[in-house]
Amino acid sequence: MSSLSQRRLGRSVLLHLFLTPLAVIWLFPLWMMVVFSTMPDNGIFSPGIELLPHGNFVDNFNNLQRDTNFVGAIGISVAVAVTYTFFSVLLTSMAGWALARYQFFGKGAVVAIILGTITLPYAVVLIPQFIMVARDFQLANTWVALIVPPLFNSLGVLFMRQAFSMMPHDLFDAARVEGVKEWRIFLFVALPLARPMLAALAIILFLASWNNYLWPLLINSQPGAMTAPVALGTLIGLTKVSWGGIMAGAVMLTVPMLVVFVLLQRHFIAGIAAGAVK
Amino acid sequence: MRYQNATAYRFLTPYLLIFAIFWVWPIISSFMISFQATRTVPWRFAPTFNWGRLIGDPAFFNALKNTLLILVIQVPVMISLAIVMAVLLNSPLLKVRGLYRFAFFAPVVVGEVAYSAVFRLMFNLDFGIINKLLASVGLAKIDWFSNVTPAMALIMIAVTWRWAGYNAIILLAGLQSIPEDVYEAATLDRVSKVKQFFYITLPLLKPVIVFCAVLSIIGTMQLFTEPFLITERGGPGGGTETLGLLLYRQGFRSLNFGYASAVAYTMAGLAIAITLVQLWLTREPK
Amino acid sequence: MAAVTLTNVLKRFGSYEIIHGANIDIADGEFVVFVGPSGCGKSTLLRMIAGLEDISGGEIAIASKVMNDVEPAERGIAMVFQSYALYPHMSVEQNLSFGLRMTGNPKQDTERRVKRASEILRISELMARRPKQLSGGQRQRVAIGRAIVREPQVFLFDEPLSNLDAELRVQMRVEISRLHKELGTTMIYVTHDQTEAMTLADRIVVLRGGHVEQIGRPLDLYDNPDNQFVAGFVGSPKMNFIKGRVVGRNTRSVTVELVGEEKTRIMQPLAGAVPETGAKVIVGVRPEHFGNGGEGDADLTVGIDVVEHLGGTSFIYARTAHGEDLVIQRDAAKVPDTSEITVSIRKSYLFDENGQRLR
Repeated sequence: MSSLSQRRLGRSVLLHLFLTPLAVIWLFPLWMMVVFSTMPDNGIFSPGIELLPHGNFVDNFNNLQRDTNFVGAIGISVAVAVTYTFFSVLLTSMAGWALARYQFFGKGAVVAIILGTITLPYAVVLIPQFIMVARDFQLANTWVALIVPPLFNSLGVLFMRQAFSMMPHDLFDAARVEGVKEWRIFLFVALPLARPMLAALAIILFLASWNNYLWPLLINSQPGAMTAPVALGTLIGLTKVSWGGIMAGAVMLTVPMLVVFVLLQRHFIAGIAAGAVK
Repeated sequence: MRYQNATAYRFLTPYLLIFAIFWVWPIISSFMISFQATRTVPWRFAPTFNWGRLIGDPAFFNALKNTLLILVIQVPVMISLAIVMAVLLNSPLLKVRGLYRFAFFAPVVVGEVAYSAVFRLMFNLDFGIINKLLASVGLAKIDWFSNVTPAMALIMIAVTWRWAGYNAIILLAGLQSIPEDVYEAATLDRVSKVKQFFYITLPLLKPVIVFCAVLSIIGTMQLFTEPFLITERGGPGGGTETLGLLLYRQGFRSLNFGYASAVAYTMAGLAIAITLVQLWLTREPK
Repeated sequence: MAAVTLTNVLKRFGSYEIIHGANIDIADGEFVVFVGPSGCGKSTLLRMIAGLEDISGGEIAIASKVMNDVEPAERGIAMVFQSYALYPHMSVEQNLSFGLRMTGNPKQDTERRVKRASEILRISELMARRPKQLSGGQRQRVAIGRAIVREPQVFLFDEPLSNLDAELRVQMRVEISRLHKELGTTMIYVTHDQTEAMTLADRIVVLRGGHVEQIGRPLDLYDNPDNQFVAGFVGSPKMNFIKGRVVGRNTRSVTVELVGEEKTRIMQPLAGAVPETGAKVIVGVRPEHFGNGGEGDADLTVGIDVVEHLGGTSFIYARTAHGEDLVIQRDAAKVPDTSEITVSIRKSYLFDENGQRLR
């Protein structure tokens, strides 16, 4: 074996020796989540070390459902996330399209404002948003309250603007010369071509809505209107609660997303990476 | 290109409408609310009521101190870790790359509530797996929830676990946009791998690193869920209370909107200052 | 079918003017080519006719109707883009019919038009394919087919052949020529390739820096260029330019001596103003207008640098004693095996110092 390939082998071994323990540590909380979700409470709170799943997931789920209507909350979460994703993708791609395709009065200002909001803390708008939605519009504990205010999204617009500007504009001009109306060019030429980018955006937006905690906690605090994370959050810190049940809920919130992540990893990563790399 | 004002704004209107109602107005509104006494009906204009209280409030300074402490320790550690992850994941020598990527990126999809619950259990004093593992190698148990220092450490560990992979994804994309031939040229010039990292990778990656740092700082500055759920409303005794938690307590527990708005604007002021530093750090050399 | 008239057409981007008052009359059924180096404004002018760019000043009329504020789709034009601009997610048939379907054209009529276009361009077998599955030449046909389906009064082509390899380019050139004969529709065609312009056009518009330099039939431009730019742009290899000086004059003619070649004198009759004795001029000679020594007006002996043999003809790259580069075209059999050659100037053009033609 040549010294070059020996050196490569040495480096490779070193690399794996360092990265493998780190990967194990990183996977550990997720693994424990699954393990806890299959253990009875007296098993979780026992002195022994348990690292392998047991068989009590269904019991734990029943305990959870007894503590809070988790299935109902999951239903709300799914419905809200799907609706939110649809409208948010539509709105952000329309805005991204306008910024990519047209020259218009005030374009520079619109772009500057969108860029400016990226680094503005959400906390600044939280209180007035709450007062407006809860007191002025009387929309607390409705789906509208969960869906509409988070629709503004600056990274998504910049992402879609980038996607549309990378397409050859001759395509849109060709359709325009043929007399196709602009909204039809958008719908039937631009959007179909942007499918991979739309997929990436949709995944990120769905995830954001699915995991959103603070806003739903504030605005939809009534038991029948809670999303799944909020419903689960109310149990944490209660004294007489099934921790196995909480873990079962955590697994139900997490595992579907992990499956989506594995299946659509490419879109996922594209969506997140687009934030930084122009 | 022709000017097409009407068409452009037809596409933009829904988006701008949402923006105006749920962002522009609230930004103005919370600024105004911060100058009002909001615990009387009707609210009345009192310019020094909230801001005056803020500068004399030990709870505010406690939250500010905790937030800045987490920020100063957790963000650099996490970004460094994320750079290491990204560089190693990018190595051509790595086998079963998909598995490692899954391990580091998976926390990105985990919700705050779910992972907060897991961390509470894992770090439990008597029955948590962490303390059991410490004990099994002969170390003393750590009371993560009753003492301030371990509690702060726990918050930082949790946030780092959740967000390091997210930053690594962004950094990895940045790494992959550095052309391979730069490294080939350096190798031919007998520049060692370690020197290549410090003299090629880091400088070329700087804008992305700064971007990650700013996003992380702004995220950490608003930290709410972890001290809310893991350390039980900022416990022990306010030891992990953050600005985000103070805002929540004042705004939505005491319904003191004016004071909460002043806290929010303090956070915005910090964010603007940090953004300006970012712009300065990544300015184009003249 | 329709005539197209451009009157004092201006284009400004901010305060920067890029088309400086173009006046062009295009007759009904004519094939006109806009040609010029990149950045001369030819594509911008075409896009202004199409309505894809605003007109900053002047007027564009199609079929006697002023079109300045008319939407592209209402102008009776169809355009073929350099990149073809085929919709990648649609089949050939859907590409051809997309515009008509989207604008509510009756279904039967759409089908008839698509069928006719596919027959004209012989792409009937490709109708179910996606653009990705087509060769460059086939894509080009589909792009043209999409224009034909519109049944326009004017076809606009924006460098349609520049993405094809040399052989296909010649083939498609012939195809477009045939199409023009078959349809008889007005066509405006933009290219930077003077060969394309010469072979396709009824008339050529030569543009430079946003100015119309000359408009004329291909052979008129070749035989009778208005200025040094047009003379240099039309013809391949390009015309040689040699510095000269006026050494003798009378009312109807001028005698010019090549700088550094005192014995080479050219006398030319002039109808217009005759320059002063001593004035600097430029003598233009096409490579094919050099004869054998002693056969023309004036002889010139030059050193040979390189000879390119192309089979039937050869190009001699030579240099005058004064150091000016020349290209000389010769029958292959008549290239001497020496380091020097004496040639005669059979035909020449005179330009003044500013490049304007003297005639």
